[in-house]
Amino acid sequence: MSLYPSFARPNSLAQASELLAGLSGGSVIIAGGQEIMPHINHGAMQPDIYIDIGGLKELRGISEADGVVSIGALTVHRELQGNAIVAEKLPMLADAASRAGGGRQVHNRATLGGNLVAMHPLYDIAPALLALGAEVELVKAGETRRTSLAALMHETSHGLGSEAILVRVLVPAMAAGTGWAYEKLKLSGGAYGSANAAATVQLDAGRITAATLTIGAVADRIIDAAAAVQGLIGQAWTAAAAEQLELRCPALVKQPLSDQQGSGEWRQAMAGVVARRAMAAAVARAGQK
Amino acid sequence: MADHSTIDDTRYVGQAVRTIEGRAPIVGAARYTNDFVFPGQLYAHIVRSPHAAARIRRIDTSGALKVSGVVRVLDGAEAAAHIKPITHYIDPAVFGGKSAEVRVMAVDEVWCYGQPVAVVVAEDKRTARFAAQRIQIVYDVLEPVLDAEAATAPDARIVVPGWDSNIMMQAPFRNGDPDAAFAKAAHVVKTSVDIHRFSTQPIETRCYNAVWEHDIEGVTLYATAQNPHPLRHVLSEVLGMPESKIRVHAPVIGGAFGMKMHGHPEEALMCLLAKLTGRPVKWTETREECLLIGAREQRHHMELALDADGVILGLRDRYFANVGAPSACPGWGMAFLTGLTMPGPYAVRDIDVQMTVVITNKPSWNAARGYGKESTALALELAIEDAARQLGMDAAEIRLKNFIRAEQFPYNSPTGLVYDSGDYSGAVLKAMHAIGYEGWKARQAEGPKDGKYIGIGVAFELTPEGGALPGTMVAGYDSSSVRVAPDGSVRILTGVTTPGTGNPTGIAQIVADELGVTMDAIEVTQGDTTTCPYGFGNYSGRSTIVGGGSAALAAQQVRAKVVTVAAALFDVPEADVELHRGVFSVKGQQGRTLTFKEVCYAAYTGAYSVAHGITLPLEATATFKPSNIRHTPDENGRINPYPSYSNAAYVTVCEVDVETGKTKVLAFAAAHDCGRVINPVLVEGQACGAISFGVGGAMFEAIAFDSSGRQLTRSFMDYVMPRSEDLPAVKMVHHDSPNPVTYMGLKGAGEAGVGGSAAAVVNAINNALIPLGVSLNTLPLSAPNVWGAIQAARKRGQREAAE
Repeated sequence: MSLYPSFARPNSLAQASELLAGLSGGSVIIAGGQEIMPHINHGAMQPDIYIDIGGLKELRGISEADGVVSIGALTVHRELQGNAIVAEKLPMLADAASRAGGGRQVHNRATLGGNLVAMHPLYDIAPALLALGAEVELVKAGETRRTSLAALMHETSHGLGSEAILVRVLVPAMAAGTGWAYEKLKLSGGAYGSANAAATVQLDAGRITAATLTIGAVADRIIDAAAAVQGLIGQAWTAAAAEQLELRCPALVKQPLSDQQGSGEWRQAMAGVVARRAMAAAVARAGQK
Repeated sequence: MADHSTIDDTRYVGQAVRTIEGRAPIVGAARYTNDFVFPGQLYAHIVRSPHAAARIRRIDTSGALKVSGVVRVLDGAEAAAHIKPITHYIDPAVFGGKSAEVRVMAVDEVWCYGQPVAVVVAEDKRTARFAAQRIQIVYDVLEPVLDAEAATAPDARIVVPGWDSNIMMQAPFRNGDPDAAFAKAAHVVKTSVDIHRFSTQPIETRCYNAVWEHDIEGVTLYATAQNPHPLRHVLSEVLGMPESKIRVHAPVIGGAFGMKMHGHPEEALMCLLAKLTGRPVKWTETREECLLIGAREQRHHMELALDADGVILGLRDRYFANVGAPSACPGWGMAFLTGLTMPGPYAVRDIDVQMTVVITNKPSWNAARGYGKESTALALELAIEDAARQLGMDAAEIRLKNFIRAEQFPYNSPTGLVYDSGDYSGAVLKAMHAIGYEGWKARQAEGPKDGKYIGIGVAFELTPEGGALPGTMVAGYDSSSVRVAPDGSVRILTGVTTPGTGNPTGIAQIVADELGVTMDAIEVTQGDTTTCPYGFGNYSGRSTIVGGGSAALAAQQVRAKVVTVAAALFDVPEADVELHRGVFSVKGQQGRTLTFKEVCYAAYTGAYSVAHGITLPLEATATFKPSNIRHTPDENGRINPYPSYSNAAYVTVCEVDVETGKTKVLAFAAAHDCGRVINPVLVEGQACGAISFGVGGAMFEAIAFDSSGRQLTRSFMDYVMPRSEDLPAVKMVHHDSPNPVTYMGLKGAGEAGVGGSAAAVVNAINNALIPLGVSLNTLPLSAPNVWGAIQAARKRGQREAAE
């Protein structure tokens, strides 16, 4: 905690990584500032050193190769909403990015990396990326590492935000005909989500051959509802299947959040509702161009 | 939006004139209080109590004083040695209640979360905040008193040392023979209405910048203040300085809603710090601090006595207002107004209402749009809805049956108010027509679709406006000056202020018509105690009634002067001179014209010739004092503190998703009576704003606490006001009954509508859920609460089926 913090703006990833490795703590990595600045303005965060990574070219750009879409961590929400590759290959991510709160001014500055590093249970990007099986590339102390986003979210010493830099997000392109939906339930237009669900589904002759489902905003971590969708494989999407899914999901919420986005009891029940609605919408969309 | 086709375009009044003060805020050029920075500017950071109730054992400020850049540190005890307790805006003792001594910072004991305990003044904001963390305070934490009804229990801890109970004031509003009415009733309907704590959040938070004026040993306070002159009076008492040495300047305000009425500790505290340091000291409220200011936590236990046809024979209400910790702000008065406004628009004579205002360890209230009248509307309208449901009557029918009829005005209410005018039934019918009531009823009869239930809600709100409370600085009159310069330009100075509602434009429209000039000739100055006539500022929908009324009278006097000069210049009798939009002409003589500027210049330079017969300069000051306010008590000891009784009917259609409990407002209509409309766009903007206040409050805005009394709602992440997607376009129709005694028939227009719209939404949601057996009168009707009520009703149903 210092009254007179320092500010550094490295020009390359290597330089940034080297700089971070030489610091002993009290530093914070900042890009779009949409996560950190409110905390700083509020006095909840008082860093000694700001490392502005906004100038790192390695963290920019969206490209596709070998069925994997690579998205730079500095990509802002507006780019995710409007980028042609994302629209074609990862439409659920584009949709989730457009559902994030804050309006256009925030969407123009808020980065993909900042959103993920915040690991905020109410945010919209992570549930979608988890349902899409995303991986991430990060650099810490000069070493580059690639891991699944799901694994990263359970790590306790990844160092993101202060020691490690999230470089890129790598997402398998959604297969043609994949049905998808991002369902968000919030108390009012300006509220954070109270329960969110991201679903993908593939159908063959009316039967579900593959499905993913994640549920966000109901617990302190995003829930991978794979166990709940397991029973759907090989089945048709019927009223009974929908009911089964809705019943199974609340059981996955061990400790529901209970805050001004809603009571725990309600959040737990809503986990089932948004899951069923997301899956129903994904099934309806499956196979359509 | 309403149809504006029937306007008289020879006059500005009645037209949707563009606001004269609107451009600057839109282009970012407005200078708000926080934009003023002076040489040597210092910044204050306030240390607030983290506990709801505690004894202060020790405060050690030495750590803060060691920080470079810190100029002064002060705790409550030291502040109390320099200045007096804050003068109450409305002293409860004047009305028979208990008056607590309110200091700018806690002395010995803290009585709510967020109460100021110490302050650091430094060269910059960051240093002040940094140093504040180095103040060490040792508290002995006490068990907090948080619930109003529990606080009245005999064994409850007493919040204010020396008081015999936590009840600040208890008062009856009683008339006729309510017991007899209940004895003969065919139906008695009991409804408890729980109105939660919700707030008014201006986008501009509060800010005070006190500048020590070394030349006169006085102080200038730049302040987000709705009432600069009365604030000056309070500062004079607290600081022990004559009013003549104090200037309060309230620049452009970015929303106020009552929250910027004074009594706040930071006002006098900044003045003291400026005096102690000899330098300008500024404090800007954070959103977290702004959210501490509460309002409306009130529980009503209503009983209606009805005959077999649904006519209300009598009304009982026991209500408890949790006004939080003692404060010098006028918030507690909201609870008083709730009772005084009973039984609203209904022709019920036999009433037995008892108000209990309770002090607790929650942060204090301040005034909030509606000023207690919104709680009257909520309690009444929810109870009547309950009665309609129990008697199997239509929501509109039961109201139409019980309204005061248009021919009964002026109407003496059972609490002593004298309602000026209105046509309540007509307003409800107009609002029903605007929304397409029968069509929605038909759609509702088709039953729910996809788990979505439709409900229709009707509600009415009577909003007494322009109030004057005897023995307080809540005055019913106000003054304006109209000054015309030699170039013909016009400056209006008023004692009323604007919180951003557009009243300067309304007042300028009135003056342009009365004086005979164009709008672009006019500037309006408000909010400065040194330049403006003594006035009472902005509250109670008064600014256009008394500000516009007084400016009209002043303009008429100035017009008489310029007409005299023009007659001399034309050499015709004054009666033959015409003046319209800045051009003088002579009746029946085409082509003979003079400009307003020519005549004004001639007046100023012709004191011994053409202007011989008038008193120069071309200025006048006038006061408008509504004649129907009565402070002499009648035989029952009652007064009529209000000159005008705005009213409106609200009809809404809501759709409830029973799976999630989430409600969507599908349609909203309002029929609004604010008397004569000066500027329809401004009136409708205010009315729509009040509707979104009401809808937000009814459905999701809430200030929450944990069990230890710490406030959980600290930012806009948790305090969420409605966005455009939360409201449909409002169908607004005017249903104006001109006030017989105010200038041009004006009634207040800015405040009304919070309670009526909130009640309409609650009624619509409950109406939708009739098939599920849900009746929820505990606000807010947020998705989790509605869902919870549906679950409870289902479980009840299953239990009953099993038995």
